[in-house]
Amino acid sequence: MIQLFHVSKYYDRRPALQDVNLQIRKGEFVLLMGPSGAGKTTLLKLLFCADQPDEGQILVQNRNVARLRPRDLPHLRRTMGFVFQDFKLLPKKNVFENVALPLMVQGMSAFDTRRKVSEALKAVGVEHRQYSRPPSLSAGEQQRVCIARGIVNGPIILLADEPTGNMDPDLSSEIIELFKTINARGTTVMIATHNRQVVSQVRRRVVTLNQGRVVSDEGGGE
Amino acid sequence: MRRLNFFVREALTNIRGNRTTTLIAIATTAFTLACFGVFLLLYLNLKRVANSLENDIQVIIYLADGQSPQAVTDLQRRLKAEPEVATLRYISKEQALADFRTQYPAEHQLLQGLGENPLPASLVVTMAPRFRSPEAVKRWAERLNGIPGVAQVQYDRDWIENLSAVLGFVELAAAGVGIILSAASVTIIASTIRLTLYARRDEVEIMRLIGATGAFIRVPYVLEGAVLGALGGAFSLALLRGGFEFFKLQLGGTGRLLGIESNFGFFPFQVSLAIVLIGLMLGCSGSLVSLMEFGRTRA
Repeated sequence: MIQLFHVSKYYDRRPALQDVNLQIRKGEFVLLMGPSGAGKTTLLKLLFCADQPDEGQILVQNRNVARLRPRDLPHLRRTMGFVFQDFKLLPKKNVFENVALPLMVQGMSAFDTRRKVSEALKAVGVEHRQYSRPPSLSAGEQQRVCIARGIVNGPIILLADEPTGNMDPDLSSEIIELFKTINARGTTVMIATHNRQVVSQVRRRVVTLNQGRVVSDEGGGE
Repeated sequence: MRRLNFFVREALTNIRGNRTTTLIAIATTAFTLACFGVFLLLYLNLKRVANSLENDIQVIIYLADGQSPQAVTDLQRRLKAEPEVATLRYISKEQALADFRTQYPAEHQLLQGLGENPLPASLVVTMAPRFRSPEAVKRWAERLNGIPGVAQVQYDRDWIENLSAVLGFVELAAAGVGIILSAASVTIIASTIRLTLYARRDEVEIMRLIGATGAFIRVPYVLEGAVLGALGGAFSLALLRGGFEFFKLQLGGTGRLLGIESNFGFFPFQVSLAIVLIGLMLGCSGSLVSLMEFGRTRA
């Protein structure tokens, strides 16, 4: 599903990732651990094609993302979902419209869009806020809306960057349960976090990064 | 069709949702185009006045006395065939005397003392437009002097030379100022539209990250730029029309401009439409340039 071969990435000549090798199978749930600045967000950005590696190769669904033509990029992204640390919700659109965006860009009919958005909002428990705008929501609600937008188009891969950051333990636990449910439906899930509580709650594969290098890879089952 | 609906709805929602930046963009476009429009209006009206003054370029051909009516008719026919002649009017000796009496009622006793009518018959010629330059008029007048039956040829040489110099200067100034104002308008309007989009670059980034194609992101913004630009163009026309009518009202009846104000006019429909279209195109191009800048990052 996802393969990284000797991937390195530099920002201003400082290494953000160094010689990273990783293979993630279809349906896996992977936690990407490490302290701030370890390279977790950089790795997710490379997988989401928001940036390109300086060295090495990345295959996502057997496609080399570095060689992808710009016009093919949107089509690859439509098979993936992304939950951003800062939510990235459009403040002037309501919850329903924000979640519907990935379906709108694919040209889905209004009827199907309504059905799928309702399902996604119900799955994350914020269907009662569908006509509210993001600034009027709590951080936890905004995170749920962001997750709903990430899963609404039934992605094959769901990537999440610190989805429980700044949340209290109860809310954090609820959000992680949500990801486990999504993973149980067959979606490959990869979460970057520095929250140890998440590791104990999930008990799945944990890849640890430090100073841009993979320092441990545990619980992969192989 | 579904996408078109989405694009139009997005563009209108963006315009409604960003009222302050929208108003700033429309106002900037309107005022900038109005500056350009004032100049254009001034130039077009000056040109109109100059054209009307050019119609006054006349050559008076005084005829030798004692010619038979047939000879005068032949001369008229011959001159009418010349390309330099736009119109030709015959003034008989009697008509000349009557005109003199009308124009100078106090001095008509002067002529009574002379007994016989001393004023010659004449032909008043208006020059064809392409023969109105000082050189062309001079050349033709010299040629006429050699024709039998022509006593004297008279034209206002200084007037023609001055008018020609003024027209040349107006054309040159129009080209120079027009280019500078056009460049300033393009830069200001495109920058304003760019700024309104820059404030919303996060939206562009989010759309890109959720898998929107470049065209899908661009179309609503370009539509929005087009609407803002066209509205700016329309408001500039309204400003110009208001200013023009006020100016005409102030001049009306004063007689200070010796009647040339009757030549003043607003833009013809085609020019008005062109100003709105220029606003529309500037809005589109401003949006496109901004989006190209945002598009340089892969995200």
